[in-house]
Amino acid sequence: MFDLYWNAFGTVLLPQNILAICMGGLWGLLAGALPGISTSMGVVLLLSFTYSLPPITAFCLLCAAYCGGLTGGSITSILFGIPGEPSSVPTTIEGYALAKQGRAAFALWIFLLCSIGGGLFSVLVMMVATPVMANFALRFGPAEIFALVVAGLSVVSGLSGGSQLKGFLSCFFGLFLATVGTDGITGGERFTFDTTILLGGINFVTAMVGLLAVSEILEEAEEPFKEYKSAVAYRGMRDELPRLADYTKHKFLLVRSAVLGTVVGSLPGGGATIASFLAYGDAARSSKEPEKFGKGAVDGLMAAETANNAASGGSMTILLSLGLPGSNTTAMLIAAFMIHGMQPGPMLYASRPDIIYGIFVAMLMSNIFLLGLTVLAIRLFLQLNRLPYSSFSAAIMILCVIGAFGLNNNVDDLYIMFAFSVIGYVMRKYKMPIAPAVLGLVLGDQAELSFRRALLIADGNPIGLVSSPISIILLAGALFSIVYPLFKKPKMLSKSVE
Amino acid sequence: MKKGEVVFSAVCVGFFALMLTQTIELLEQGRAGEVGSGFWPLLSLVAATALSALWLVRNLAAYAREKPRAAGEASPEAIAGAWDRRRKVGLSVACLLGYIVLMPWIGFILSTMFFILTFILALEERRMKVLAISPVLITAAIIVVFAKFITIPLPKGVGIFAAFSRFFY
Repeated sequence: MFDLYWNAFGTVLLPQNILAICMGGLWGLLAGALPGISTSMGVVLLLSFTYSLPPITAFCLLCAAYCGGLTGGSITSILFGIPGEPSSVPTTIEGYALAKQGRAAFALWIFLLCSIGGGLFSVLVMMVATPVMANFALRFGPAEIFALVVAGLSVVSGLSGGSQLKGFLSCFFGLFLATVGTDGITGGERFTFDTTILLGGINFVTAMVGLLAVSEILEEAEEPFKEYKSAVAYRGMRDELPRLADYTKHKFLLVRSAVLGTVVGSLPGGGATIASFLAYGDAARSSKEPEKFGKGAVDGLMAAETANNAASGGSMTILLSLGLPGSNTTAMLIAAFMIHGMQPGPMLYASRPDIIYGIFVAMLMSNIFLLGLTVLAIRLFLQLNRLPYSSFSAAIMILCVIGAFGLNNNVDDLYIMFAFSVIGYVMRKYKMPIAPAVLGLVLGDQAELSFRRALLIADGNPIGLVSSPISIILLAGALFSIVYPLFKKPKMLSKSVE
Repeated sequence: MKKGEVVFSAVCVGFFALMLTQTIELLEQGRAGEVGSGFWPLLSLVAATALSALWLVRNLAAYAREKPRAAGEASPEAIAGAWDRRRKVGLSVACLLGYIVLMPWIGFILSTMFFILTFILALEERRMKVLAISPVLITAAIIVVFAKFITIPLPKGVGIFAAFSRFFY
């Protein structure tokens, strides 16, 4: 095994592969940071460049783009309040709130070091424990996946801000939106009203761009005229270096989030979005200052970012060991394997160990290189913050429009984005939290499909949903997560009154 | 308690109840012994309708409690300020809608330049330099990155507008 690692390091550290990691990392950061251009889209766009490359160089490029995409999504989240990726929603909530308090660079450092730390942790776990984790994930059937998604949805109580009622209403709205379009099992139409525009369902990126990004610009349009975008103050990365104590204070949370991200990332259908929301919810529940959540909670930002990047190693573990895509991006990587005449899975260990170990090392080096590459990317994006505010808003609005259009190159998607922009603006006006709706929309489809498949396997018997210890533990955890804040809140209120 | 919040919660109740009636038809879709297409939406919509009804009741109760106190409290300046904010948001929304409607007809370049100009005017930008430079500069940067580099097939428009767009991408 050490020979294999030695050879893999020797190969990956060749100049052409280092260049591929740098190019892929920068591209991933750009793709992740631009709203509407997802990490998976970034990887797809790179696929055509890999036809003529040696396999290991191709995977250096693609792995770096994958890690960069997960990292880049949070740059625009913190600086502009626009999540580049669905998994960046918790970062947008806490990071942007910190940025608006004049602590943009501090939030960026927290995000950067936690992202890289989470990524490195998961890669090390991937290298050491791939066979064990793959064996564990094999036990997950539809009932367990359903329980996992319910656990993901249960973080709504932590995302609801002041009102649990509005939070859950927002979440059920998101779950309803996820049912619009063609039913994945029967093929029947639901809530399409005989239009073609809704036949493919509501794409969560389109809805997310409208609900989170455009509605924010509309809300800011209410403010009196300002020459520059003053909401985010930036003093310079060197002035706001976080202290070691900022991290050691939350060491258990960081370890927990890294483990959570790696495990959730390794589960089929898990991925960075559930991982970051779960870790964020966990941070909200365990925080000593829960009232800070939604207003710039550093522990919330740390947990979400650590888990977000830790999911990459977990997803890759399942891809390499079982050939199953744990996320959209790893599904795209299967195409890359096929282009180079390989099939990811257990057989690949026997036939091409050089590729498997090369990918391990490429993931490791990508995370290390991203430390420098992200600082470069942050500088680039911060320059954008110095544009006149009106022009800046217009440019962001156009990026949102292109992001929604570029998904399917269809103008109809722009009307959907427009509708969600207005809905998002009204939700903001009446203090209805948007994050639970996004969470419901992102996870709703998966929740429904796994729920129906589990019942199908159990011949319609609902006991089938709780037939294994894993699903019982996950559902009990979800129930606890929903009920606990309801009892905890009056206690907190009474304390504050005292 | 704002009157608008009462209206919004009532709209939520109406919307979810309307969708719930649509779900009834969906319950028939699906094979025997399977959970049909309507079951999951039914679960979501029953919960959403119940929660929005509860929210409406709470809002109505709060509105009834606070109404006598709130009467006559708003100053003319506050009312004028509220109208000014609504006007700016309304104009911004109109600019965005106009942009989306016009884009397939006059192409991405012209619609984007027109959108930037009207949108920054709606945000009360009056500096001539910014008004003159921003539409051209932002559109050019967007075209270079998205049409040339990433090669997203941005709308070209129809007729003479399509011919114009082909000069650039």
